[in-house]
Formats: sequence, structure tokens, C-alpha cells
Amino acid sequence: MFYLSMFFQYISQYLKTRLQYRADIFVEFFSDLLSQAINLVFILVVFGHTNLLNGWNRDEIIFIYGFFLVPFAVFSAFFNIWDFNERYIVKGELDRILTRPIHSLFQIILERLELESLLGAITGLAVMFYAGSRLGLSVEWYDPILFVVFVAGGALVYGGVFIMIACISFWADARTSLMPMMYNISNYGRYPVNIYNKLIRFVLTWVLPFAFVGVYPAAFFLEKTEWYWYSFITPVIGIIFFIVSVLLWNQGVKKYRGAGN
Amino acid sequence: MNNAIEVENLRKEFKAYSSRSGLKGAFRDLLTRNYKVVPAVNDISFTVKQGEMVGYIGENGAGKSTTIKMLTGILTPSSGKISVNGMNPHKERERFVQTIGVVFGQRSQLWWDIAVQESFRLLKKVYKVTDEHYDNHMNHVIKTLDIEPLLDKPVRKLSLGQRMRCELAAALIHNPPLLFLDEPTIGLDVLVKLKIREFLKEINEKYNTTILLTTHDLSDIEALCERVIMLDEGKVIYDGALRNLQEKWGEGKELQFQFLEKVDMAAVKNLTKAIPVKWELDEKEQIFTASLEDNDELISQVIAKVVAAFKIKDIKINATSTEEIIRNIYEKGAV
Repeated sequence: MFYLSMFFQYISQYLKTRLQYRADIFVEFFSDLLSQAINLVFILVVFGHTNLLNGWNRDEIIFIYGFFLVPFAVFSAFFNIWDFNERYIVKGELDRILTRPIHSLFQIILERLELESLLGAITGLAVMFYAGSRLGLSVEWYDPILFVVFVAGGALVYGGVFIMIACISFWADARTSLMPMMYNISNYGRYPVNIYNKLIRFVLTWVLPFAFVGVYPAAFFLEKTEWYWYSFITPVIGIIFFIVSVLLWNQGVKKYRGAGN
Repeated sequence: MNNAIEVENLRKEFKAYSSRSGLKGAFRDLLTRNYKVVPAVNDISFTVKQGEMVGYIGENGAGKSTTIKMLTGILTPSSGKISVNGMNPHKERERFVQTIGVVFGQRSQLWWDIAVQESFRLLKKVYKVTDEHYDNHMNHVIKTLDIEPLLDKPVRKLSLGQRMRCELAAALIHNPPLLFLDEPTIGLDVLVKLKIREFLKEINEKYNTTILLTTHDLSDIEALCERVIMLDEGKVIYDGALRNLQEKWGEGKELQFQFLEKVDMAAVKNLTKAIPVKWELDEKEQIFTASLEDNDELISQVIAKVVAAFKIKDIKINATSTEEIIRNIYEKGAV
């Protein structure tokens, strides 16, 4: 309860900060919208050349891509921890975090909110509706509920993996280039996993489960019954990965060495 | 629970790796690294009573910050017992930090982009302070620190002195019984320093707040602390009253003379050759300094002789300053 109220406190603080720079906010909003529009056109053009991939047709692939954008947007808005190592470990900002009576990871998430990333979800939804209408998909009453659950699961998978990577900084001082690499790997989750070989499929399902961000949950809405089992464990995988990452974090904080003054 | 801080055989080791020299060494480092375990804090023990103001001093790298970070729950000790406000700082971190306030002189607690009062408001929620408590306590703090006119300004537009006063207020929002100040007056001008000192004294009297202060500015410690804990290479080398330090290590007094006309050093030396005095001359300012032991009889003899012989422009009698005492201690090692 306390954490929920803190969440809204920080959001209002975030908005106030944003509103401080009046000109900036308009420019940023329009540039974000514009880049999302370009993104949309880009997706349609790129996928215009694909026809059939291992049993998935063009519109299905576009749909998966569209779905992927939604949990990704949620992830980018709330788990903005790309620069965790530099900002919190090297500069020692974690000192300040640790002197406050809120869980350290939660504080960092709150401090690094980037709500404008949520705009990406609009692009994702637009892409899904475009592809869905071409596929003649119907929307059932339970679809929006499951959609929210799957998106949350996907965002948690993403968050969990990136938190674990951030945790490496607690043990190793050196800056790692794992973050961008992981970002590249995560992109594989946007495409149907059965186009990859077995090993990659295994990795994308159980080790770095990015398939649960894109293809698995999206398969449910595409009515691919053979993938339903995977679709439904999306939230479970998300929660498991997230919990593991938080436990790892709690261990890591104990190893924190602090930065010299 | 009389003791605010109890520390027993506290130790923190860091693993530092030493790199070998040269390109060949760099390749070898890639495979096997030479680790050296360096104790930053080496088995220290002390207790601080509730309501005490303690100065925690030492050279750069003596382990002050590391100790403070362990006491505030930021770092986990390698070994030893630590109990602050009756709790184990890193074990019950979230509950524990409710009972302490921390100011790091070189780090900001406040949000850079928003007005100071917004930061306060958020911190008030973070520490679950009720409106009533907040109003009672903070109105007073704000008035004493004179930060009322700064409240609606964003932190980035404040000067260092203004920001520091706001930081101090921010650390006190939940009125903690224990306050850690890590170089709170670094880079501040005299007026702001004085204001901060007065304020610290006041809250110490009013709320019986325990204050642990590290600083390089010994005048802060002279003004505030009765007790100092001195650290060198991770070990406590002195723990006791500041006054004793002065009595024990204050080596004699200094007499400074300035003369109206040009005076020869040899002539001055000749005057006092019967008395054990060491003369020094500052060429530029023409200041003659006599160092001698702290003995009223001798001092008056020297003054009498000098004054009788030369026309005096200025005389000063200085006791050895705390700063010098501490420098002496560090140069000579342990007490």
C-alpha cells in the first residue's frame, strides 16, 4: 500500500519535473510521435517483402511485432536501467538510495521513470489492429484482460533479465557491454521462434525468455492453438524471472562497495 | 538504550587488484590477477552516547567515509559487531534508515529539477511523516536555517551554501535521533558555516540529537564537538576529549613580533640567548616568531626583553592550533 502511494507520488513528481521545461515537453512529445510514426511505416515496408515464414504469413508476423512493441514500451517506461552501472555504481548515487527507507530497486525504478516511452504502445496497438483486421481476427470479451496480463508478463520478463544484468555491476566493477548485446538478443523474440534452430529456441524460451515477450503471447491472439500452452505460462515466466532478479538484486546490494569520495 | 552507536571490532576489507607493469604484465593480468586484501577499516571499536556530538577525523583515505557508510547501512562490514540505534544497519536497512539522517557534503539528496519544497514534500511521504509533525518541526528548521525564500526555487538554481542548508533541512524531515554529516561544510563561506554550526548546536540541545561529523575543517569540530575520534590507516588512534588532545599535544606557545624598523635576526637571537627559544623569520612580512614551551614565566621574560630593545608594531601570542596538533600526530604516528 505504501509502495503504491509512493509510486503515484513519484509519478506526480516526474510530471512536475517534465512540466518545468515547457518548450521541451512539446518538442519532445512531437518528436516522440514522429519517431513512432516513422517506426510504423518502417515496419510495414520491411515486412512488405516477407510472405510466408515457416507457417506464419506476413500479417501474422506484423501482428507479433506489434504485440512485442507494447510490453517493450512498458518495459522502457518503468525499467530504465541501462545506465545503472555508470549512474549508480560508478558515481555512487546508490549511497543516497540506500539511506532511504524504500527498497533500493523500487526507488531506482521510480527515479528513472520515463513515461513518454509508453507512446510506443500506441504504435504497437496500431500495428496489431492493422494486422488483426487484415487477418479478420475477432475481439472477444476476455481478450483485453488477457492482453493486459500477457503484456505485464512480457514486461516482467524483460525487466527481470535486465535487472539481472544490472546486478552484475555489484560484483564486477568494470562496465559491461552486455546491455546492448542483450538488447540485440531480445529482438529475436519479435519473430516466430520456430524459424530458429532448436538451440536458439531453447535459449529464447527458457534461458533468456524473450520469446515470451513477443511470439508466445501473440500466438494466443492469432488463435494458434499449438502455442497456447506457451501463451498461458507467459505471466508465470514473467513473475518467476522477476522474483529471481529481485532476489539476486538483494544479494548484490550487500556486495556494493560504494564509490570513493 | 543509552548508546546511539556501538561498534566492536568493526572491519571492512576491500579487494584491490594491483596491475603488473608493462604490456606483458597487462596480458598476465588478463589471466591471473594479483589481489590484495586491503583493510579500509581495521578492527575499530567505539561507542557514542545518545546526545553526543562527535567529530570523526582523519586524513583522506583513513577510512572515515567507509565507517560512516557501514554505520548508515550502505556497506556491509567484513566482520565485527555494529549496532546503531539498537539495530543492525544493513540487516534491517529499511526500518533502520527511518531513524537516521544523512548528509553527504558532496552528494545531493534533493531532486535537481524541482523546487526545494517539492523535494521536501516527497521526502516527507518517503519517511511517512504526518502533516502535524512536519509542520511543528520543519517550520522551525526552515526558519532557523533561513531557507524560506529558497523553497520555491529549483535546486539547480541554488548556490552551494543555499543548497547545503536545504540538504540539512531535508535530512531532518523525519527528525531523526541520529545525524551523520560527512563533510557538511566543504566549500562553504564563513557565514554559512556559522549558521550551520549554530543550527546543529540548537537541534542537539532541543532534541538531544546525536551527531557524528566528519570534516577536514577542524574549526567545525572545535566549535561543535567535545569529543573526537581520530582515525589513521583504518585504526582509531585517538578517542577522547578535544581539550585533552590540546593539553597533551599542544607543544608550547608561539610569540609573533613585528617591528617598526628593520631588525636583524642575529640581534634578536642574541637578546634571548639565555632562554630556550627557537626563532624563525618570515622574510616577506618581517614577522619574527619565537617558539617556546608553555610557561608563563618564560613568555613574559622573552616579551620583556624584546620590547625593551626594539620598537614594536604588533605582538601576538598563539597557542598551537588544533590543526597543527593533528598534523603533528599524523607525522609522528600513533598517540
